Amino acid sequence: MKAKIAYILLVLILGIQTISVQAQQRFPKPEFESGHTQPSTLTPETRAQFLEIIDVIVLVISLSVISWFILKKRSRKGVFWISIFSILYFGFFREGCVCSVGSLQNITLALFFPEYHVPLTVIAFFVIPLIYTLFFGRTFCAGICPLGAIQDLFAIKPVSLKSWANKLLGLFPYIYLGLAVLYAATATDFVICRYDPFIGIYRMDGTFNMYVIGGIFLLTSVFIARPYCRFFCPYGVLLNLVSRVSRKHMTITPAECIQCPLCENSCPFDAIDKPVIINVRDNRKSAVRNLLLYSLLIPVFVFLSGWTGSRFHENLANVHPKVRLANNLIENQEDVAEEVLEEITACKSSGKPAEVLYNEAAAIVGNFYIGSWVLGAFLGLVFGLTLAGLTHFKYKTDYTPNKGTCFSCARCFEYCPVDPENFNPRHSGDEKISYER
Amino acid sequence: MKRYHMKDKININFWQGIAVVAGVFSFIICILLIANYVHINRNDPVNTETLNMLVERLNKNPSDFELREQVRQLDLLARKAYFTTQWQIRTGGYLLLIGLSIVVIALQIIIYNKKKEPVISEGRDENYLLLQKTARKWISVIGTLVILIALVFAFLSHQNLENKFKMAGQNQNELVNKVIQTGKNNDTDNSLQAVTQNLDTMESVEEEPSGISEPSETGDSGDSVVAEAMDTEEVFLITDPGPAKTDDNFTGFRGPGGNGISFQKNIPVSWDGETGKNIIWKRAIPLRGFNSPVIWKDKLFLTGANDKKREVYCFNKNSGEILWTSEVNNIPGSPAQSPDVPNYTGHAAPTATTDGKNVFAIFSNGDIIALNMQGERVWAKNLGLPDNHYGHSSSLIMFEDKVIVQYDQKDIARLIALSASTGDALWTTKRDVKVAWSSPIIISNGNRTEIIVSAEPFVAGYDLNSGKELWSLNCIYGEVGPSAAYADGMVFAVNDYAKLVAIKLGNQPEVVWEDEEYLSDIPSPVATDKYLIVPTSYGMVVCYDAKNGTKYWEQQFDNTIYASPVISEEKVYLIDKQGVMHIFKVDKEYVSIGEPQLGERIVSTPAFSDGRIYLRGYDNLYCIGKL
Repeated sequence: MKAKIAYILLVLILGIQTISVQAQQRFPKPEFESGHTQPSTLTPETRAQFLEIIDVIVLVISLSVISWFILKKRSRKGVFWISIFSILYFGFFREGCVCSVGSLQNITLALFFPEYHVPLTVIAFFVIPLIYTLFFGRTFCAGICPLGAIQDLFAIKPVSLKSWANKLLGLFPYIYLGLAVLYAATATDFVICRYDPFIGIYRMDGTFNMYVIGGIFLLTSVFIARPYCRFFCPYGVLLNLVSRVSRKHMTITPAECIQCPLCENSCPFDAIDKPVIINVRDNRKSAVRNLLLYSLLIPVFVFLSGWTGSRFHENLANVHPKVRLANNLIENQEDVAEEVLEEITACKSSGKPAEVLYNEAAAIVGNFYIGSWVLGAFLGLVFGLTLAGLTHFKYKTDYTPNKGTCFSCARCFEYCPVDPENFNPRHSGDEKISYER
Repeated sequence: MKRYHMKDKININFWQGIAVVAGVFSFIICILLIANYVHINRNDPVNTETLNMLVERLNKNPSDFELREQVRQLDLLARKAYFTTQWQIRTGGYLLLIGLSIVVIALQIIIYNKKKEPVISEGRDENYLLLQKTARKWISVIGTLVILIALVFAFLSHQNLENKFKMAGQNQNELVNKVIQTGKNNDTDNSLQAVTQNLDTMESVEEEPSGISEPSETGDSGDSVVAEAMDTEEVFLITDPGPAKTDDNFTGFRGPGGNGISFQKNIPVSWDGETGKNIIWKRAIPLRGFNSPVIWKDKLFLTGANDKKREVYCFNKNSGEILWTSEVNNIPGSPAQSPDVPNYTGHAAPTATTDGKNVFAIFSNGDIIALNMQGERVWAKNLGLPDNHYGHSSSLIMFEDKVIVQYDQKDIARLIALSASTGDALWTTKRDVKVAWSSPIIISNGNRTEIIVSAEPFVAGYDLNSGKELWSLNCIYGEVGPSAAYADGMVFAVNDYAKLVAIKLGNQPEVVWEDEEYLSDIPSPVATDKYLIVPTSYGMVVCYDAKNGTKYWEQQFDNTIYASPVISEEKVYLIDKQGVMHIFKVDKEYVSIGEPQLGERIVSTPAFSDGRIYLRGYDNLYCIGKL
């Protein structure tokens, strides 16, 4: 019976592969009579609409199953196998595109350029993980996101980082998010996709630099678990914020925490909040003073950072191809890179009047001035709120997952000694460890 | 006491061995891949020292066939080696992926089945406030550092880019103005010159001393002439500011002034393309184009083009012999590839124009050329690739020493006057309009001679000498294809899905009547002082009272009409796409005079000269006259 099911599944999977022939290039590739083989491109082939619908369905089913594994079954094993599936399906099969992480750029572009049409699939990939996170925490990060899943596999010997380092490095995703939104809003580039470290691996096609960056991240993952997810992922910022108010986030213990410290170092992502003991009460006065001080300083941070951003807008604008081209044309440099020369030649042969180019470039720089103000102010706000947040604390006695940073990977479950028999069926079958007092 | 035990026992050592072997394998593959990558980047397979040396020797001794063969073999070998390396990299990539997958699987199995020993921190009672303080300190330090670095970097690299680009844009304008004032652009000594010359396409091929050329020999423009109808006593008031008003010349699209009026007499009203009746000659045209014939004395000019080739043809109008063909190529700034235009527009839709000294032609890629009467190039330039989804189709028109170009493109809309003798821009007027396919007409209203152009959102008049907008009325919209018509102080403009408007010129031009019943998207209207004839592409032709818009008659023809009507001797000549010429009287009632057939599809507008009609079919040029 099982063999039959396996055969049916195999036939279905192979059948789905044939659907891709329905997908047609809008501009078909030329056919060479000389036998020249078309080189593969850095963007994946067009997918049939049917396959895109399948992708969304698979996403929903995967999220539902992994949420069930985490919240009901409390099974790390289930999460692990879903991760493998995600790597194979969303990674290698779908070639990592469109991913939820990159989709926020499409959404941003559509907000600023209404003429840009966002495919429904992209909207679905952006919204659905957020909805699941709102209800169940970051179960998407646990094993559905192919970028996170591949790093998770390499988390062989994770070390714990200092809490200040975690806090500090945890601010970088906000910077990356701000830059990604700025560049998408100005139709400059999709930087998240351009610098996606794992896309080359999933497509088995990429530049040497892409492989190098991917390799560095995977090697780092061996010791610092999921470095991209924790310290770079801009979509993670949104998931982090949404997860903080999630309705039913996973808990380390299936019942009441007994404050044993067994789980406190079990999280490779340092996402377990430890109990805050009572003896810090003595410093409450200074904590309140600090909180007031930093809270009052937030507007200063916002303005200072915004102003700094506005001063930096030209450097940011120089990434825009039109600005770069206009600049090169004005400078009339002869010793520019070959690709820049090619751009100049292409521009000249297009016959576009220079005046138009300069005016467009000036308008773009003007947009960047405003955008950089907003970006700077946003980062100032984030820094200010983070600093203010570091001045107050809540007394607590239990070990709890940090709802913002916890990836719901389910590793900590295995370390909890609380007797599960009254609460959870996880020990019924595949549990390999038990705890005895 | 705590104790962990394993439920399933597996051979950890075995999986450790697998992990080590796969890890070593992956490491070796990785090193090989990097080495291969470095090698492939350092060596250009077809540019090796040995190969270059052999090629050099072969260049010195081209008859050494053995050496030639040796070079070929070596080149083939080098290329094979290159592609083998490519294959190795790809295969190596897959092997690396497999190797790493095995390592990961093995390690995960080991981790999964290994004893989990909880690690308990020794200093459990951490000072939470101290941790927060440390975090605040580092965040403040790094944040300050980031701000300082950003500021230093910003101030060091500050270029005032926005103003720089604005200034550059203004420089372009000044450069154009300088061209207008001096008629030359070779005295612009700034770093933008190279860019300007290439991008703004303000240079001429020949470095003639430029300046405003002398007025045309037939410069008595601006006069109104009265053309008498041959068979009636009715008189039409027709304006002809062009250089050739009553002679045998037909100098542009829809005749002199572009107004659809011919001054020819004794034009035949019957012919038959199949039997050859009244067909004086028929000649194949080398390259297709939907432009119409223009005529100067004995010479008839056409253009033809495809996506690779652009040509101007000169025919002997009496014999049909092709006197010369001039290929339009090697023009600075000309785009490497022709734009992608639909077949129904083609690459040579605009009609040429001539002043009797030169003939001027423009093509879909923005190339414009002036050739003398012998077909020699006088000047040529590129006006910038037209950003135009149907393809550029506005025809050129002459006035004295100026070639007027309506260049209403998506990115920038301009009306340009080029010096007929040098090609220099005499003036350029920016127009805040959408892309259009209509052609300019030149009219003389009282003492004022002006250019009338129709494009969304307005119909406007421009001064011929300065390009200054004299008036404009927001009354037209959509993708404007039909050109305007003029008669007796009234301008008529029409467009499909918009309306037909009649504008009375004067100090303050105003719309005196309008209609929305029958609208044209391609053929242009034609007018006399009393009547307005509006053809439509769906075969309906309507006649209105020109002064008040009263509809006199409407006539539905069977076929599509793309060509524009021309009035000659009080008769309208309107040819449909199937080659049926509908000849009817300009009158309050529809009176058909004849419907001769050409026997070939046609979308071009007929030209009239010396008592003959010249028709350009899809493939052939016809001369029709009374035999």
